[in-house]
This record gives sequence, structure tokens and C-alpha cells, in this order.
Amino acid sequence: MSAVTLDHLSLTFPDGTRGLDDISLDIADGEFVALLGPSGSGKTTLLRSIAGFLAPTAGRISIGDALVAEAGRSVPPERRHLGMVFQQHAVWPHWTVGRNVDYPLRRQGVARGERDRRVAEVLELVGLPGFAKRNPATLSGGQRQRVALARALVGEPRVLLLDEALSALDEPLRDRLRLELQQLTRRFGLTVVHVTHDRNEALALADRVVVLDGGRIQQVGSPADLLERPASAFVARFVSDASVIRGRLSAHGFAAHEHPLVVPLERCFSVGAEQQPPRGGTAVDLSVLPEAVRLIRDPDGPAEVVSSLFGREGNDVSVSWAGLTLRSRIVGSRPAVGERVRVEIDRGLCSLGVDALAKTNVAA
Amino acid sequence: MTASPQLLRGSDAVPGVAPAGPPPPPGRTPGPAPAPRGAAAGRPGRADGATFLRLGLWAACAAAVLVPIAAIIVLAVTGGGWRELISPDVAEAAGNSLVSAGVSALGAVLIGTLLALLLERTDVPFRRTLRLLALSPMLVPPFVGAIAWLSLLGPSSGLNRAWTEAFGGPLWNLYGADGVIFLLTLHSYPIAMLIVSTALRRIPADLEQAARISGASAPIALLQITAPLLRPAVLSAFTLIAVSNLADFGIPSIIGLPDRYVTLSTLVYRTLQSGTAEDPLAVVAAIGLVLLVIAVLGVLADLFLAKNRIEIDASASAPERLPLGPARVPVGLISAAAILAVTVLPLVTLTIQAILPAPGVPLRWDTVTLSSIERAVTAPGTVTGITNSLMLAGLAAVICGVLGLAVGTLVTRSRARDNGALLSVALLPQAIPGLVIAVAWLVIAPRIGLFNTPWLILCAYVTSFLALVVQSVTAPLRGIPLFAEEAARVSGAGRFRALIDISFRMAIPAALSGAALVALTAVRELTLSVLLLAPGAQTLGVVIFNLQQAGAYNAASALSLIVTLIGLAGLGLAARSSR
Repeated sequence: MSAVTLDHLSLTFPDGTRGLDDISLDIADGEFVALLGPSGSGKTTLLRSIAGFLAPTAGRISIGDALVAEAGRSVPPERRHLGMVFQQHAVWPHWTVGRNVDYPLRRQGVARGERDRRVAEVLELVGLPGFAKRNPATLSGGQRQRVALARALVGEPRVLLLDEALSALDEPLRDRLRLELQQLTRRFGLTVVHVTHDRNEALALADRVVVLDGGRIQQVGSPADLLERPASAFVARFVSDASVIRGRLSAHGFAAHEHPLVVPLERCFSVGAEQQPPRGGTAVDLSVLPEAVRLIRDPDGPAEVVSSLFGREGNDVSVSWAGLTLRSRIVGSRPAVGERVRVEIDRGLCSLGVDALAKTNVAA
Repeated sequence: MTASPQLLRGSDAVPGVAPAGPPPPPGRTPGPAPAPRGAAAGRPGRADGATFLRLGLWAACAAAVLVPIAAIIVLAVTGGGWRELISPDVAEAAGNSLVSAGVSALGAVLIGTLLALLLERTDVPFRRTLRLLALSPMLVPPFVGAIAWLSLLGPSSGLNRAWTEAFGGPLWNLYGADGVIFLLTLHSYPIAMLIVSTALRRIPADLEQAARISGASAPIALLQITAPLLRPAVLSAFTLIAVSNLADFGIPSIIGLPDRYVTLSTLVYRTLQSGTAEDPLAVVAAIGLVLLVIAVLGVLADLFLAKNRIEIDASASAPERLPLGPARVPVGLISAAAILAVTVLPLVTLTIQAILPAPGVPLRWDTVTLSSIERAVTAPGTVTGITNSLMLAGLAAVICGVLGLAVGTLVTRSRARDNGALLSVALLPQAIPGLVIAVAWLVIAPRIGLFNTPWLILCAYVTSFLALVVQSVTAPLRGIPLFAEEAARVSGAGRFRALIDISFRMAIPAALSGAALVALTAVRELTLSVLLLAPGAQTLGVVIFNLQQAGAYNAASALSLIVTLIGLAGLGLAARSSR
């Protein structure tokens, strides 16, 4: 297994759209990294650049000690010695399971006996012992994905790439494969790059999560970091369903724009760090995590509950308050739809609002 | 001959023939699944509009398809014509038919597959233009293609005369077996190309990518992963083309007969024309049955192979094109030159022949004349031919359109046990050589009082072309879940009402484009009408054929040119409106 280094990586498609924008990232040997982002964020583009299916227009990619891509030069995928699992398993339908898994070893020129031994071994590892002679058409979706995983692992790749590898599976099965995947990758210390749009999956599996949007890295951090210290309003909203409120920050605290909501200064923090917010009197966006929205039942309260969903780890309640919708996570009894409540904010994360950002740029 | 334009539609349903038996349901779309018995309200027992419609359609399809086929089989078996089958003439013609069909199918599949790979999977330049040009032989009826090629490589063509003057012998005299095989290949490779291209596009890109990651270079991935997955489509294309070329009439009659190269189809024509045989109809019925059996065997072989067809998931990502590197531009130029030479060159010489007064006149400013065109167009025979063709094609389009709409909709949008059987009957003629269909209608003509009338041609058109509409209707409807009708039922519509208001309405655009295809195919058709010819009922194809046979090459060229241009324009319009 090897480390992966991305150095100021940019990729512009022939039609001019920007796929990746100045991505720099060090993935350590044996690390499990998840690339997370909405569709079009560049996460798949980044994975396919590492795989060698796309060539970056600027920057460099190194795998281990080897430089595999720089502007104008790209090592083709077959010479990068990687393993990859695709969303639609991509098991070759015209070959048996054994022949499928065998293929990377054949390409490496491994001797017959050795190949058979390793194929049997890896099939056992993914929970398909004795399946070598089977026709892929007779397998279930989950089994095919295990075949794809076995095929990706058999050649002892330098890095394992997972492209939405679990997304096509149904929920209970996906959960189980998630567990097995973690066991497997931890046991062998595999370097893994995992692309997903499923937030819970990224948080559950990864050592570090890379949040992408618009081809740029928005935040790199441990799952706990992402939840507790989102680096921007975007990350807070995308990862934790935070409500983002426009307003102004003054010496008294945060006051929402054309809205009665006020948050005292001691409860306002700056995004990215647990410190006091920027300067007073500026336009800011306040990100409020659902955990920080407290609802107090009050028949005269200004807000009304518009939805109230039950959840295992806490109920998901939305309230509408003078045109503003806030999401709240509540443990314990949940209010019914239509009940009136008062809203209190325990903690808000300030980031410079769009207007303020524009001004700072002009000043700079 | 009738098969080529049918494939325009047929090939995008399943890579292969799939005429008999319902095509397999598409992978994940919830198509018409077998209904839980007794659960569907209003189902068994209660006769309503839908039941009568179903009965009516069965009657219509039986009359159009099953009766003629039964008639030809009965006459072939009981008429004593099979005794003639052992004559050396028939044996020779059968041998010629088998060889020309087999070799041309092999060549067509080879060329078609190579072109499909080149245009779909490499970064060769001018792909769109090359693709359109490569498909263009399909838009020209084979007999028109034969006339066009004769203007380029006939024994007295300008090219051959110049070559003889310079080197003492012609470059290539098209008449004879080699010319027949060449032209059959040329007119059928676009079908192979379409079928293989469709199959290529259905192979998910990630299968090759998985091979790349596993250590295979791009050419090896193409060879080891994609090529084996194409095998069923290639085999299907081969059977289909071989069966259809087996009974082509236009090419062997125009290119083969002058050199005494006789195939089964031209033998049938001669037998019917000569009147020397004792009972010509019994003899041709026996020949027709032989062709039918060969065609059925071909289709069965293909269905058998299709059983082992590999199921492939739908592909989301576009396949990666193989970079040709420095060879890119040379490969592009060479293929462009080759494709231009076989598609545009004969049309150029056809045009030249059409604007010259007589064969052998050199092309100069003062020799160019529109008189050939004028004479050809204004001749009374031509006017009758055009009128007849327009009328017959129009009626065929209307009948096939209505019948095809009803059959195609009913079998895809309802749940009944006999859907598969009804669909198979409607699609069956696609696997039957047009020649057999013509003979079959000749056999039953006296019994139904249509002997020597143009209506016999109309009957044969309906039998042959119904499948065109059925296919264009079923293909898009199959992908829409049955919820559409169920929503109408829940909203208060009865079974028949839902069928009319929802199913038929959804299918009408497809039925219209199918009917347009029928009209375009029928108006340029030769095989059926030349065999079913009645006095005063000659079609446009027959007029051109007769002019060519009579040696009026310039007039035949002029009409051929017009037919080609109209066909190109019509198909262009159809393609545009269906997009």
C-alpha cells in the first residue's frame, strides 16, 4: 500500500467547465479517505483522475514514490497498479466468477498455481468461498459487488478506489457490506479512496472526510471535526443540515436580516474555530446546527411546527418562524405538527456574509 | 429487399432478429409482468370493448399473415411442384442463392463490425459525417443501387471504356456472380453496422474500465472484454442479412441475369413470366417453401444462440474512445475516401447518365440535357406507375398504421396470456423473404377474387410492412410502466376507456412515424409488385425495372435518381421529426 499525493491539481474539461480547481491533498499510507459532496462537486472527477481515466490539466499526482500524472503526461490506468470497485459492479458477464477475479493476476503474468491459490483466498475473504466456477448472472447484487471487491483486491493494489461502490445496494445489505469493508480494509491496512454522496457512509467509514463543492476542497477533517467544527456555512449545511441565516453582527450579538431572531454575542462563534467571531457590525451568515436549535412549547410562541419526523438518534422537527424555516433535533418528546413554540439558539457559527466578502475583496 | 428498411427500426429493439416470440423484457423497467391471477379487477370472463378489439386484431393478423403462409405450404405440399425441385436448374439457382447470400452476409458483417468499432470506439475524425455516409446505402433501394453501379461499372460505362482503351480490357465488369455478391454486401453492411453499434452502446463503459484498472491496455480491453460481448449481435446480424439476401430480387435480376447467373428469386420470376411450365404456381410455391424453411431455420438458429445471450446492465457513463494517436488523421482520410467511393461515386455517375441523352454519349456542356428526365417522367407508363405507387403506399401506410398501433399497444399495455402469440404473428413476416409473401398471395388470389388486381399488391404490402409499425410502437411503450393506465383506472376509466385515452394516445406518435416508414418503403418497392403485377397496375419500381430491362438506361437512371432523392429527403424528414 502506498500514500497518494495530490499537488495543486486542476482539471478543465474540453468544453471549458472546471472539474477540479487547485486540489492539494496528502493521503497517508493505510488511510481511509472519503470524498463527499453533492453531485457535480468534482468528487468522481477527482477519483477518476487518481485512477488515470482523466488527465489533470495542471498539477501533479503521485502514488507512492511514483509521479503518475502532471500536465501533459499521464500514466495510463493499467500501469498504475490500483484496484477499483464501480457503482454498477462491472463484473464481466462472459466469464465465471473465478475468471473475473483471476484477470488482474493474468495481466500481471502470475503463474497458474499461484493464481488459483490467491483467487480462492480472496474469494474466501469477501465471503464467497467456492464461488469460482459460478456464472455471474446467477449471483445477487450484493454477491456481484463482493466479486468486484475480490477482483479489486486480488492483485494487491497500491490503492483501493471505491466509486460509489455501495450506493447501488439496498439498505440492510449496504449496511452489512459497510461493516465488512471496514473490517477488511483495517485488517490489511489498505489505502482507500472512497467516493460517496451518502453523508452517513462517509462519516461512518473514513479516517478523514474531504468535502468538495464546485471542484474545490471545502474542508478536510475527521468525521468529528466536520460535525463540530464545520469550516464554512456550506459544510455545515451539507454535512449537518444546518440552517443558514443572513444577518448582522454587532456588539450585542447577531440580528437576523428583516427578522426578529436575535442571538446573544456569547453564543456566536466563528466558523472553523472555537473563538470569538470576526469584527462587530458586519454582515454575516449564521449557521445553526439542528442540535443547537431549542424549541420551547408556548401557545403564544411566534413559530409553528411544520413537520415532526421520528428518528432513532433524535427527532427531526422543522418550524416556520415569520418566513424562516429552522431545523431542530430534539431528544425526548417531540411536538406535534401545528403546535406553537418559542425558538432559542444555543450556538451559532458566523461566517462573513456574501456582501461583507465582496467588500473585503474590494478593500484588499 | 424488404428487410433493409425494416431494420432501420428493428435493430434498436434487440440486437438480433427477434421476430418470432416476444423480445425479452428490458432489464429493470417494470414492464408488463404476468398479472397475479384473479387480482386484476374486471379480468376474466367479462367481455367488453377490449375483448372485442383483441378478437378483431387476431382475425386481422390471421388474415394478413397466417392464411397466406398456410396457403403456400398447402400448395407446395399437395400441388406436386416439389418434383421440379430436383431439376438441375433449381439446384443451380439454389446453390447460387446460398453462396451469394452467405458470402455477402459474411462480408457485410465484417465491414459493418469494423465500421461500428471505428466510429463508436475510436477518436477517428469526422465521425458524424462518416456515420451518415456509411449508412446511406440503406436509403437507396437495392435495385436502384444496382442501376447506379451499372452506370459506374457496367460493361459500357465511361470508366470501363476508358480503361479498355488504355489497358486493353475493362477494369471490372459488374455483371455476374461477383457483381451480385458485391452489391448485396454493399446494401446490407449498414444493417450489420447498426446492429453492432447498438450492441456496442449497450455495453457499459465500466466493464472496459475495470479491465484497464486490472492492468489491460485499451486495445486488450477491447479485444478481451468488448469483442466477446459483441458475438451474439454479430451472429444475429449474419443470420438476418443472409436470410434477407437469400431472396433479394432487384440485384440478381439486374446484375445477375444478363450474365446467366440465376438465383432462386430470379428463377421464380422467370417461371411465372414464361408460362412454359405446366403449373407455374405449384413450382414457385415449392421453391417458396424451400426459402421459407431456410429462413425459419436461420431464425431458429439465431433464437437458440440468443438463449445464451449475456445479460448486460444499462450503462450510464459514456465509453472512452480509443485514441488512434498519429494514425488518427490517415485512418480518417482512408475511411472517408473508401466510404465516399462506394456511396457517392455511383450516385454521381447515375446523375451523369440521367442527364445524357443516350449511353455512350460523352459528357460535355453541349451534350447535357434534361430530355431523359423529361421523357421518363412524362411517359404514360411512368405517370401510372407513380400514381399506383403513391396510392398503394398511402393505403398500406394507413392500414398498417391503424393495425400496428392497435396490436403494438394492446400487447404492451395489457396483461393477457395471448399477447406474446399475437405479437409473434404480427412480427413473423419480418423473417419471411418478400418473395415468399408475394407467391403466397398469388396462391390465394383467385380464391378471394383479387387475381389480376392492384389490391393484391396492397395485401402483400400489409403482410410485409405491418411489423414496421408494430415494432416502432412497442419499442417506446415497453419502457413506460403500466402505472399510466392504472392511474386512469383509479381515476374512473374502464378497461377499454383507459386503453383508448391513455395507451393509444401515448402510442400515436410512434405509430405515425412507423406508418411514414411504411409509405417510404412501399413507394420504392420492387420484389412484391414485380411478382404480383396486374395489367395497368405497375408500380414505380416496376416501371424503372422494365425501362432497365428494355435497355432504356438513361431513362431508368433518371427515374432512379428521382426515387433516390425523394427517399433521402423523406427519410431525412422522418429522422428529424422523430428526434
